[in-house]
Amino acid sequence: MKGLGRGLLTLAGLLLVWQGVVTLGELPPYILPDPSAVAASLWRNANSLLGHASVTALEIVLGMTLGTLLGGATALALGYSRRARRWLLPVLIASQAIPVFAIAPLLVLWLGYGLGSKIAMAMLIIYFPVTANFYDGLRHTPRGWLDLARVMLPEPRRWAVLRHIALPAALPALGSGLRVAAAVAPIGAVLGEWVGSSAGLGYLMLHANSRMQVDLLFAALLVLAALAVGLYFAVDAGLKRWLPWHPPNPETVETD
Amino acid sequence: MSNLFRAALLLLSLAVLAPGAWAADSPVNDKKLTVMLDWFVNPDHAALIVAQEKGFFAAQNLEVDLQTPADPNDPPKLVAAGKVDLAITYQPQLHIHVNAGLPIKRIGTLVATPLNSLVVLKGGPVKTLADLKGRKIGYSVGGFEEALLKAMLAKADLKPEDVTLVNVNFSLAPSLLSKQVDAVIGAFRNFELNQLDLAKKPGQAFYPEEEGVLPYDELVLVANRDQLNDPRLGRFVIALEQATLYLLNHPDEAWKAFVVKHKDLDDELNRRAWRDTLPRLARRPAALDEARYKRFAQFLVKQGVITVALPVSNYAVQLPSSE
Amino acid sequence: MAPAPLGVSLRAARLVYGGLTLFDGLDLELSGGCFTCLLGPSGIGKTSLLRLLAGLTAVGVSGELRGDDGLPLTGRVAYMAQQDLLLPWLTVLDNVTLGSRLRGERPDRERALRLLARVGLTDCALARPDTLSGGMRQRAALARTLMEDRPVVLMDEPFSGLDALTRLRLQALAAELLAGRTVLLVTHDPLEALRLGDHVLVMNGRPAILSPLPDLPGVPPRDPGDPAVQAAYRAILRLLGAT
Repeated sequence: MKGLGRGLLTLAGLLLVWQGVVTLGELPPYILPDPSAVAASLWRNANSLLGHASVTALEIVLGMTLGTLLGGATALALGYSRRARRWLLPVLIASQAIPVFAIAPLLVLWLGYGLGSKIAMAMLIIYFPVTANFYDGLRHTPRGWLDLARVMLPEPRRWAVLRHIALPAALPALGSGLRVAAAVAPIGAVLGEWVGSSAGLGYLMLHANSRMQVDLLFAALLVLAALAVGLYFAVDAGLKRWLPWHPPNPETVETD
Repeated sequence: MSNLFRAALLLLSLAVLAPGAWAADSPVNDKKLTVMLDWFVNPDHAALIVAQEKGFFAAQNLEVDLQTPADPNDPPKLVAAGKVDLAITYQPQLHIHVNAGLPIKRIGTLVATPLNSLVVLKGGPVKTLADLKGRKIGYSVGGFEEALLKAMLAKADLKPEDVTLVNVNFSLAPSLLSKQVDAVIGAFRNFELNQLDLAKKPGQAFYPEEEGVLPYDELVLVANRDQLNDPRLGRFVIALEQATLYLLNHPDEAWKAFVVKHKDLDDELNRRAWRDTLPRLARRPAALDEARYKRFAQFLVKQGVITVALPVSNYAVQLPSSE
Repeated sequence: MAPAPLGVSLRAARLVYGGLTLFDGLDLELSGGCFTCLLGPSGIGKTSLLRLLAGLTAVGVSGELRGDDGLPLTGRVAYMAQQDLLLPWLTVLDNVTLGSRLRGERPDRERALRLLARVGLTDCALARPDTLSGGMRQRAALARTLMEDRPVVLMDEPFSGLDALTRLRLQALAAELLAGRTVLLVTHDPLEALRLGDHVLVMNGRPAILSPLPDLPGVPPRDPGDPAVQAAYRAILRLLGAT
C-alpha cells in the first residue's frame, strides 16, 4: 500500500508540473492541452480508448510471448551448438542494429495491416534483449555447480545438467531480459500501428493528430503509458512469483 | 521504469515543447523567410523551386529557406507556434486546424484544384464506386479523407459502414500494389497514378470533385494570423506568381532548374508528375474566391468534419497590395 | 554402512600455472577408510591437487590417478566445496537428492530424510536454502555428500567460511558421519587438520612437496586442548615458518 501511496503522490506532482507548464508557458491547446482537457477527453472517449487499448494490449502480450519463446530457443541454441553460434550470433546482433522503424513498412507489406505485423514488430524489438540476457545467463553458470555435477556424473550428461542446473540458474538473467522487453514491447506494437493499421492506440493517436484532436491524442498517450507501466509491473510480479528464490533472502542469520 | 525516470522523461518532453510558444514573439529577421513544405520536395512545389532558382525571390529582396517536415500534420502547427514563417498545407486541413483554434490564415494558393483521388488498380474487382462495397480502403490522413470517402460513397448509395478503412500511413501505392487493400484514398492523381503506371500496374482514379465533393485548393500557403502586416509576405506571393508564369511559358527550362537543385528528383516518375502538375498550378496565387471557400466550409460542416463554418475572413485573406 | 574402504594412489602429479610450476612429480597415497588432512598455505596448490583427484582436471595438470584396486576413480568420488553449492531454487531435500536426479535415477527420499535427521536438519527438509544459516547449509551439503554414498570423499576447506563455534561442531559431525570412508580434507587451519586427521600431510615449498606428519594418538575428533595436539600444532607452525 505504501508503494501505491508513493505512486499517487508522484502522479499528483506530475499533474501539477503539467498544469504549470501549460499555464506559465501560455501553451496553446493544440500544442499541449491542460490536464483537465485531457481528463475530459479520457472520460468522453472511454469506450473508444478501451477498445483500441485492448487491441494494442493484445498485440503487446502476443508479441512478448512469441518473442520470449523465440528468444529463449535462440539462447539455448547459441549455448549448446557451435554451429548455431556461428550462424545465429550475427543474426542476433543485426536484429539489434537495424532500427525497427525501418523494417516496419516491410513487415506491414508482408504480414498485412492486421495484428500480424504489430506482433512481429513487438517480437523483433524484444528479441535481442531477451536472447542476449538469457544466453549470458546460460554461459555463466557458476563454476561450483558445474564441478559438483561433473563429480556426480560418471559419464557426462549435457542435457541433465542443462535441465537441472544451467537452465534454472539462467532464469534470473532471462528475467532481466523480460523486464527490458516489457518496457520496449509497447514501442514495437505502436510503431507497427503507425505504419498501417485500422485499430489500436497508435492508430488512434495518428487519427487524433490529423484531426487536430490533441486532447484525445494525449489521452491515448496516457492510456498507452498506463498500459506499459502495467505490463512492467505484471512482469515484475510474475517473476517474483516464479523465481521466489531470486534475489536471495538478505536476512539470513549467520549462526548455526 | 522507476517513477523518477518517468518524471524526468515528462519534464524533458515538456521542456522541448514549451519554448515553441515563447518563441512566437521573436524578432523578425529582415530578410530570411522560412517555409515549411507539406511533404518532401515534389513537382507540386514547382513554383517555389523555380522562384528560388530563377531569382524571383531575390528580385523581391527575399531570402527563402524551404524546409521539409517529418509529418505533414506539423507545418500548420509550426506556423501557429511561430517556429516558421510560412507553411504549405491542404485547404481541408486548413479548415480543420482553424476550427481547432490554430491562429493561421491562408495567404496564397499553390495548387488550385483537388489532387486527392480514390485510386484502384485497373482491371481489378472495383470498376465503379458501387463495387467498393465490403472492400478494404487504405487512407493516410484521418478526418478529411474519411469525409471525402463518405461523400463519394454516398454518390454510389453506399455508407461508410459498407467498407473497411485501414490507415496505411502514406504507403498508398505499395499497399495497393501488394493488394493489401482494394482501393486507396489520399492518392494524388499527379503522383500515385504515375507511380502505378511505372510499376506496370496502371490505376484508375475516381475524382472527388466529380463524385459529390465540392472543389477546393489542394495546396495553400498559410501564415500566422498575427504576422500578416509583414510586407515580405506580399512580396513572396508576387514572386510566386512570376515563377508560375515562367513555368507556363518555359516548361523545359523550368524543369531543368528544378532538377539542378534536386538531382535525386531527375527520374521518370517526377518527370511525369511534373507534366501532370503544371496545368493545376494556381495561375494567380494571391487570388481568393471567398464564396468557394465558404461553400467548402459548409460542405465540411455537413459531413461532420468541422462543427461550424467560420467566416472566411477568419482564416483566408487576399493580401492587400504592397505598393 | 560405509562401502568397502578404497585407497587412492596418485603418481607423478604435475601442475603448471601461469608459467609457474606449482608441483612436479608429486606422489600422494590415501589410506582406505582413513581421514587424511592436507594442510598448507593459500595458493600452494592444495585445491588444484584436490580437483585433480576429483576428476576436475584443468589444463596444465597431469598425473596418474587410480584406486588401490587398480581401477580409475571416476564415479567413486563425492565432492564438498567451501561454498555449500546448494541450488537456491530447490528445497533442501531436493538438493540432497540432486545426484540421483542428474543421473536419471529415482531419488531415495526416505534415505535422504534419514540423512537430514542425522545432520540435524529434519525440520528444514522442505525449506529453501536462502532461509538457512551458513552452518545449516553446510550440514545440508554434508547430507548431500553422504547421499552420494561414495567410497572416496574430497572436501575443499568446507568449514572455513563458518564462525569458530559452528566450525567445531561441524568438524565433529563430519568426523562421525564420514567414518569408514576415504576422506581427503584440504584445509589451511592446522587445528582442524590435527582434530580430524588420521593422517596429516603438510604441503609447502615451491615447487610444493608433501611432508607427512607423525600420526597423533587418539581417535578423531580430538580435543584441541590435548597436549599432544598442542605440541603438534607448535611443530606445524614452525614447519610453515610462522614462528
